[in-house]
Amino acid sequence: MEDTHDVLVVGAGLAGMRAAIEAYDLGADVAVVSKLHPTRSHSGAAEGGINAALGNASEDSPELHGYDTVKGSDYLGDQDAIEILCEEGPGDVFQLERWGAGFSRTADGRIAQRPFGAAGAPRTAYAADITGHVLIQVLYEQLVKRGIKVYEEFFAWKLVEDGGRCVGVICWDLLHGGVKAFPAKTVILATGGPGRLYVGTTNAYACTGDGMGMALRAGAALKDMEMMQFHPTTLSPSGILITEGCRGEGAYLLNKDGERFMKRYAPNALELASRDVISRAEQVEIDEGRGLDGNVFLDLRHLGAERIVERLHGTRELALTFAHVDPIFEPIPIRPGAHYHMGGVETDVWARTTLDRLYAAGEVACVSVHGANRLGGNALMETITYGRRAGRHAAETALEADDAALPESVVRDAERELQALLDRSEGERPWRIRDELAETMHEKFGVFRREEQMTEQGEIVRSLRERYAHVILEDKGNVFNNDLTQALELGFLLELAECMVVSGLARKESRGAHARPYDFPERDDENFLHHTIVHWHDGGPVLSTKPVRFTKWEPQVRTY
Amino acid sequence: MSTRRFAVWRGAGTEGGLVEYDVETEEGMVVLDALREIQRWQAEDLAIRWNCKAAKCGSCSAEVNGKPCLMCKTRLDELPEGEVIRVEPMRAFPVIRDLVTDVSWNYEVNKRIPPFTPAPDTEWLIAQEDVDRMSEFRKCIECFLCQDVCHVLRDHDMKSNYFGPRFMVRIAALEMHPLDRADRVELLAGQAGIGLCNITKCCTEVCPEGIHITDNAIIPLKERVVDRYYDPLPMLGRKLAGRRRKDGPV
Repeated sequence: MEDTHDVLVVGAGLAGMRAAIEAYDLGADVAVVSKLHPTRSHSGAAEGGINAALGNASEDSPELHGYDTVKGSDYLGDQDAIEILCEEGPGDVFQLERWGAGFSRTADGRIAQRPFGAAGAPRTAYAADITGHVLIQVLYEQLVKRGIKVYEEFFAWKLVEDGGRCVGVICWDLLHGGVKAFPAKTVILATGGPGRLYVGTTNAYACTGDGMGMALRAGAALKDMEMMQFHPTTLSPSGILITEGCRGEGAYLLNKDGERFMKRYAPNALELASRDVISRAEQVEIDEGRGLDGNVFLDLRHLGAERIVERLHGTRELALTFAHVDPIFEPIPIRPGAHYHMGGVETDVWARTTLDRLYAAGEVACVSVHGANRLGGNALMETITYGRRAGRHAAETALEADDAALPESVVRDAERELQALLDRSEGERPWRIRDELAETMHEKFGVFRREEQMTEQGEIVRSLRERYAHVILEDKGNVFNNDLTQALELGFLLELAECMVVSGLARKESRGAHARPYDFPERDDENFLHHTIVHWHDGGPVLSTKPVRFTKWEPQVRTY
Repeated sequence: MSTRRFAVWRGAGTEGGLVEYDVETEEGMVVLDALREIQRWQAEDLAIRWNCKAAKCGSCSAEVNGKPCLMCKTRLDELPEGEVIRVEPMRAFPVIRDLVTDVSWNYEVNKRIPPFTPAPDTEWLIAQEDVDRMSEFRKCIECFLCQDVCHVLRDHDMKSNYFGPRFMVRIAALEMHPLDRADRVELLAGQAGIGLCNITKCCTEVCPEGIHITDNAIIPLKERVVDRYYDPLPMLGRKLAGRRRKDGPV
């Protein structure tokens, strides 16, 4: 058993590191647990930028940013949380600049901002097209500068709940083997999303929803699980992301006939409409035969070689390496891919979950600032602003709290459970189940959803869960046992999939990323303007609802 | 579809050797894809670090046919047909197991570099050309292939004397930030051991981000060291300027 920390952060991406830095600066004893070295975290793959109403490119205000975000969320976002994000965002971006983030600049030396999807004014600050990567380095430097302890390559597996409070985390030591228990007065989950539920995803392999799964099992509520965003421009079959920044710079979307088809779906915003609108448009084009090999095209040629090389260098590298296409001369074949999960662990505006002393920030959380659809550039902003808020509240709480005790018996039980899994000598290999899950989710719970398909998917997931109970590991060793951690990840994915499907079935309307064009094509504010809440009880999901919090903006028809 | 043979290093520490596997390959496959196939069907306990599969996270560094590279970015059709493909862990670092190496020395070195240090009264205006100058260095994904290939670290094992090319890039990124006020020249001349680099440019050759490590980072930093410690004219100038400052304006 490790020493008790005041604040234990699980996950070392942008949200996790920002939370740890804030908690440290407030005087708490902080430690971070991560199954990866921090700079390997998926936040580093974010490219396009971070939104804040700095007003450097044009007239802008936090209120305008708020309106765009609320509209983008298809009115499912909690408006008080959104207002906080938009008010505090600029301060957070300036803080990053003061920590050395190399943002691109305007002609007069201030932070440059570019247009992004569904934004009423250009407000996306960026560092060429590697914004997430630059920010990860900046935060890692601040983490190291403070000497914050990071337990690297520790796989967090179970949250420990005792007497209605979270008292710590149980992990598997990936490098040496063995169970390690981390008692803590407060725990902050910053473990990212579950994109690996889908076979076509922009997400890295580690994005398996671990934190969401742990929170669910510990009794915390999850919210809006059916809301999975499909990013419009991903490469096939790898799912590698081509940034929205391309469209921000003026790229076109074409079908196989060379038509800029977005004019039929979003006549005003065209390629800069909201992501869900574009993904659906692409899917229709593909389904109706105007795609090629399941793709449509992103055309950058008219931007010219100089601009592509200067502003979209990373994109060109990706297209050359992974699609064998030089965007200076040829359009890039792309299709929608699972990208970001708007849903997650239910939190309030201080990142508190429904389990006392447990916090969540970043993609793992659902505050909700993104509602039914997220704007490009808002995710990076959320990690910083809500990561900071989580760190603050957790530190303040921990500094006033008594010690947390993690019962030894829980640790022994965990050891026995893992040993039983390791010892099993007959059964099915986990990767078979994982592949089936990813393929069926993509087919039956993708961009477009239908009652029969979702119902079928629910049955498929339940049968996969039964098979999962008998998985066998071939690697029985202690050192770097990927086999074990991947099997544990699969356990989380299966439970999250079930939560997503039942939530999707219950929402009998189309809103944001949840599109049911065949049975419920319209948005139904009268009956469904609420959040879907899931708890885990007796081995299955239990649904309830929660009202959306309104401040300024009334729901309107959403067109671009 | 064709079958290719892979010889993958299996073992821990210094104990181990190459084990051969045949893999059915498809168009567009990269080395990482093939290894994952091996992991599924033939060697379920094969230890590999990987994550993003898009050459961004820097996890999957290895040596393929002796050349340090990212496994997710090395296409099979770039490798000589009909020959066995050798996949080995990075040789400059201790092996934990199979292809997973202990790169923590790098994280320790990083702690010794003064971080970004702006002046307290900084006006936060920066020209784009200043951002561009350091942006090349910020692309570094810490794959450590440059560290792996550098003969000073790899063959001469001089980890206690030279920080390595990756950290020359990091120091360059900090030194070239127009609002940074820390001085790292003494560090470069001393602990960081920049003098040990003899400009063979192997680092530049293996960098998956195409960073011109030697030309754009190391050589300019060497020039700063030379200016400070070895160039007689500036040294003389500083001595004279120092005297003038003490005595007051002439």
